[in-house]
Amino acid sequence: MTMATETTQRPFELKRFMAEQMRNIAPVFTLIVLVAFFATQAPSFRTFDNMMNILSQASITGIIAVGLTFVILTAEIDLSVAAIANAIGITMAYFTIQPDYVNIANIPLNGAVAIILTLASCLALGLVNAFGVTAIGIPSFIMTLAMMQIANGISAMLVRGQIAYTFPDLVTTLGAGTIFGVKWSIVVCLLFLLVAHLVLTYTRFGRYVYMVGGNREAAEYSGVNVKFILGAVMVICAMCAGIAGMLGVAYFGSAQQNQFDTFLLDAIAAVVVGGTSLFGGRGGIGNTIIGLLVLGVLNNGLDHVEIDSFLKILIRGLILLAALVINVYAQKLRESARD
Amino acid sequence: MIGVSKAFGGVHALRDVDFDLRRGEIHGLVGENGAGKSTMMKIIAGVYHGFEGEMRVNGERVEFRSPRDALAAGIGMVHQELSIVPDLTVAENVFLGVQPTAAGVVNWARMKREARKQLSTLGLEVDPAARMGSLPVGLQQLVELSRVLFSGARIIILDEPTSALSPPEVQRLFQALRRLREQGRTIVFISHFLDDVLEISDRITVFRNGHKVITDDTANFTKDSVISHMIGRGSAEMHMGESAELVGDDSKPVVLEARALDDGLMVKDVSLKLRAGEITGVYGFMGCGQVELSRLLFGKGALRRGQLLLNGKPVRLRSTAAARKAGIAYVPENRGMMLFRTEQVFKNISIAILDKINRLFLKPRREREIAEIHIKDLQIRPPRTDIALGNLSGGNQQKVALAKWLTHLPKVLILSEPTRGMDVGAKEDVIRIVKSLRDRGVAVLVLSTEPETILTLADRVTVLRRGVVAKEFTSGRLEKADLLDAA
Repeated sequence: MTMATETTQRPFELKRFMAEQMRNIAPVFTLIVLVAFFATQAPSFRTFDNMMNILSQASITGIIAVGLTFVILTAEIDLSVAAIANAIGITMAYFTIQPDYVNIANIPLNGAVAIILTLASCLALGLVNAFGVTAIGIPSFIMTLAMMQIANGISAMLVRGQIAYTFPDLVTTLGAGTIFGVKWSIVVCLLFLLVAHLVLTYTRFGRYVYMVGGNREAAEYSGVNVKFILGAVMVICAMCAGIAGMLGVAYFGSAQQNQFDTFLLDAIAAVVVGGTSLFGGRGGIGNTIIGLLVLGVLNNGLDHVEIDSFLKILIRGLILLAALVINVYAQKLRESARD
Repeated sequence: MIGVSKAFGGVHALRDVDFDLRRGEIHGLVGENGAGKSTMMKIIAGVYHGFEGEMRVNGERVEFRSPRDALAAGIGMVHQELSIVPDLTVAENVFLGVQPTAAGVVNWARMKREARKQLSTLGLEVDPAARMGSLPVGLQQLVELSRVLFSGARIIILDEPTSALSPPEVQRLFQALRRLREQGRTIVFISHFLDDVLEISDRITVFRNGHKVITDDTANFTKDSVISHMIGRGSAEMHMGESAELVGDDSKPVVLEARALDDGLMVKDVSLKLRAGEITGVYGFMGCGQVELSRLLFGKGALRRGQLLLNGKPVRLRSTAAARKAGIAYVPENRGMMLFRTEQVFKNISIAILDKINRLFLKPRREREIAEIHIKDLQIRPPRTDIALGNLSGGNQQKVALAKWLTHLPKVLILSEPTRGMDVGAKEDVIRIVKSLRDRGVAVLVLSTEPETILTLADRVTVLRRGVVAKEFTSGRLEKADLLDAA
């Protein structure tokens, strides 16, 4: 995690330390408070099964959040992740033989070929995002908004209101199967988090991602290929979203339109609640993990306590707002501590 | 100000300083970078709060929590980086934030009238309806000054006001300052340009290492004595940058050649040859196209016409990354454009050479080793690799910016305003570094609006005027006057 690289051996000053670490401390604190609250309020919350449940619920969001972490670290955004996940899940179903009662004009292929073709189409969508943002210069916010619509359109065209149920075996196993009693999706998500953490922390590419996010102009004048880095993170994000979509449809057991709508907010919220700066250059996978857990615990915990189910949506919104306030405030606190 | 101390993260920027300002005086403030003069002024202007000691205005103890508080007490500051809105009119900029309104609607006629009146008190004839961005920097600065005046400031702090100005603009500024002095206002004039300080100030205060060294009437100072107070040792008048002996040698191999570069805007048909082991200086006033020229040579900006040849072969630099790979290094004029303030020093140094020292995985230990070598070499203070760059003083940040190009020697080094806003000591360090790079065979290009910089560094000089090569000097004696004359 980046937290480790932050610490310096200057004379210890609590105020300054708190200011620097605000974005890391606040999410952990939130997580502890939430867990403590739900654990005391609902006996059904504090079971091992429920813990595993939280993790598996968070796993698909987690894979999307991994890609988003890269994008947000460069101070860009990708609003098309959920739509891409949906479109790619459906694309995979489109290439898989479906039961007779599913009325889709699909192209059934061998499982491996289907997976490769699906990944290729995912790459293509990512490249379109990257091209729009870097070569043409469309702000990522708008570019991915357009991509969201395009991907939703692809979903609609491919299934035409139908629902597909079968997927390549490998994907079904990874999305819905278990290993030693643990959901494969959790393992895949952890793997993504681990690899992303290693890439961000220990590779040259990762350093460039942080530097581009920290000061894009300075990165450019240092001879960093800023456009390549931005394009790369857009592609990485789309790939993560696509793979999450493939596992996601297997996890749900079906592929249909508008299936991933809630994932956009959840994934962005996980990254931001975790403390990765919306202004780029600060944060990382460690933060995203905490953010995922906060969101997972919140989503799950609210089901275990007696709350008006309509109120839950509002509560989630308020918690996200609080996280945004802390995110922006942490940046300011940091800057004022520097001067 | 009595017994003021201020520390940043355990580092004392000011130690027990007493400082006073009199009504109706122009007070010069000099000192090397990091000597504490900017810190002192930012405390006075309310930018920093929380310090030891006390501050009194007209005998009354005050405590400012923000620049707004300071302004309410009649203290305003014009920073080196102007806070103007280029897309608004002059009048709107003068009244920024305090537009005169009638029934909630902006009263444009009154605003223009008042703005014109305000500007004329500074001796300026500017159309209040003109777009701010269309004015030269010197005028923009005076407009900002008039904004500070308009808000009723009696004490005005000017941070490096002359660094971007041409000589006639400096004179105009001085006239305006003298008018303000006649009105009984107090002006603090912070500058590295000792000639300017000696010309305009009534009294001068010298800072060194967070201490006040001396305050005295300007009449009792000479340039020599100011310098010796600043650097703390007796020094003969440094004949730095009054004239230079050019030693351009056409037999040296051309590394980078620009043929008729043209970006359709600021750079018109510029040809230039950079030779190995030579420093080529490009001089011109602000806005003569040199910044744009330097960008074109580093693969940034759209080249309309013209050609670049590297070692005789035509190249197209599509990006800064391509330029860096081709062996071109670049240090832009603005520190914010090349440094990562919140990142550690060693990361700032290694950024340009990451691909040389690591393949895929980073080697932070190696990065730190390299950083340590440069910190020692360039005498960067404090000598730490792991603190955030923002904690260093301006001059030291500049050295870090240079350091990142020194590990793997570039073929071509382009420096835009390498010594602007730096103190004598740091300037000398930078000059030493650049010359040693030249001696090791690097083709160096120095672009500056300061004749002194060009004259101290350059082996040959090209003068730009309005985007066009106005004159080239290859050898022989070059006087400052020749440069000013040609530009």
